[in-house]
Amino acid sequence: MPRKILYVEDNPDNMTLVKRALEARGYEFLWAVNGLAGVEMAESNQPDVILLDINLPDIDGYEVARRLRNSGKSSLVYVPIIAVTANALRGDAEKALAAGCDVYMAKPINIRELWARVEGFLATPD
Amino acid sequence: MSFLIDLKCTECGTSYDPRNLQTYCLNCQSPLLSQYDLKTAREKLDRDAIRVRPRGMWRWHELLPVYQAENQIFLGEGDTPILRLPRLGEQLGLNNLFLKDESLNPTGSFKARGLATAISKARELGIKKVIIPTAGNAGGAMAAYAARSGLEACIYMPKDTPFSNMEESRIAGAQVILIDGLINEAAGMAGVKARDEGWFDVSTFKEPYRVEGKKVMGYELAEWFNWKLPDVIIYPTGGGTGLVGMWKAFDELEALGWLESKDRPRMVAVQADGCAPVIKAFQSGALFCDYWVEAHTLASGLRVPKSFADQLILRDLRASQGNAVAVSDEAIIHAQKQLAVMEGIFAAPEGAATLAGLIALIQQGWVDPAERIVLFNTGTGLKYLKQPN
Repeated sequence: MPRKILYVEDNPDNMTLVKRALEARGYEFLWAVNGLAGVEMAESNQPDVILLDINLPDIDGYEVARRLRNSGKSSLVYVPIIAVTANALRGDAEKALAAGCDVYMAKPINIRELWARVEGFLATPD
Repeated sequence: MSFLIDLKCTECGTSYDPRNLQTYCLNCQSPLLSQYDLKTAREKLDRDAIRVRPRGMWRWHELLPVYQAENQIFLGEGDTPILRLPRLGEQLGLNNLFLKDESLNPTGSFKARGLATAISKARELGIKKVIIPTAGNAGGAMAAYAARSGLEACIYMPKDTPFSNMEESRIAGAQVILIDGLINEAAGMAGVKARDEGWFDVSTFKEPYRVEGKKVMGYELAEWFNWKLPDVIIYPTGGGTGLVGMWKAFDELEALGWLESKDRPRMVAVQADGCAPVIKAFQSGALFCDYWVEAHTLASGLRVPKSFADQLILRDLRASQGNAVAVSDEAIIHAQKQLAVMEGIFAAPEGAATLAGLIALIQQGWVDPAERIVLFNTGTGLKYLKQPN
């Protein structure tokens, strides 16, 4: 059964690129185009990894991360969250990590790095 | 005439036409590197003929990406001196210690090389306005080359960037925007402005040609050492263009058949311990750097929390069997003074960091006293003087 990756992102170009990249690796790709839809999608689908844009049109990625971590669902408290931003604001990385994200990646998203990060979280321990 | 024939993605190998404006790979968002017809170049070029051409970076023009000579913007960049450091060498127990002094470049830093190439190529491709995020020296260099080529320039820099970098940019007519953040945040803002207003973004490795100017440092080293490359190169690493560029230069020189020995230098990246993503990744065996949270160092050029080309830097360090060293700001200040007192060189903090890194390597027993070791001073210390009250 393919692992599920949820990408919360309002930019269609980034969405298309990441979708293509992850599907090429055999992942099931889920997406949401705003923060509230992202939280809902995460709660109902229990993804294995979440990619989270920070600059979203409704609630920002920090708030999404906080809501997921505080949701009470163990699958969301521990799901790996990779923050993805364009670094447009001071302290994005620090805030993302403080909000509960595990890793921070800047746009443009290097696809090799994305694969490596996702696979790093999904690797089965020996 | 340039032998440039192709731009190739460093990860997926996709080709891009250098006769059109390119940025980075659209498939995997990795940097592009220029590919030259080195087979033909090997037949037609003579390294000794290049040696006697007029001084400067463009004497290597066949191996640079600009097709038309009238687009080569020249302010005197390149052919910086390689100085033996006899007093420091004696003190450190090293017989062959050298420093390549990039502070002699226009605008006082090695950034002139990359920006000369990038702006020249941008002009050739019809670009009218260029934008850059900078930790300092790249902004001043871009402003100068943009001014000389008649391009409009916009520069995003952290508000605590050295004052001289702001002023040299402004006096060259650039629009300077100071931001409350680091270079990565400046890059984000510059990227937004570029997209919204049609500026061409010449951020490190987000266009393919700055690295081409930087690689000439590698050509110059090879030529100066009579085509037998030095044993160790110690380089301050922020965005990593110089390190990646020199390794590319060595590949090209080998393909041209110009090197007298196949031995390559061991490349060493030096960063400040307040911002050492490359060192952390190198030491942990990672393929990519983690973003360095709360980056801080007095060496503003080393305050790069994560380079866009991190995987290339790590790849080349490992290919060279090199090393990566973090040094403290205190060690940088001490090294800066040592270079000035013992050798008369007022180095930028980033350049001084290479001496601090060398001292750490000596303590580790990683260098041999007889090896030919080259430090890189990437800029002049004069640009870091505080504004008088």
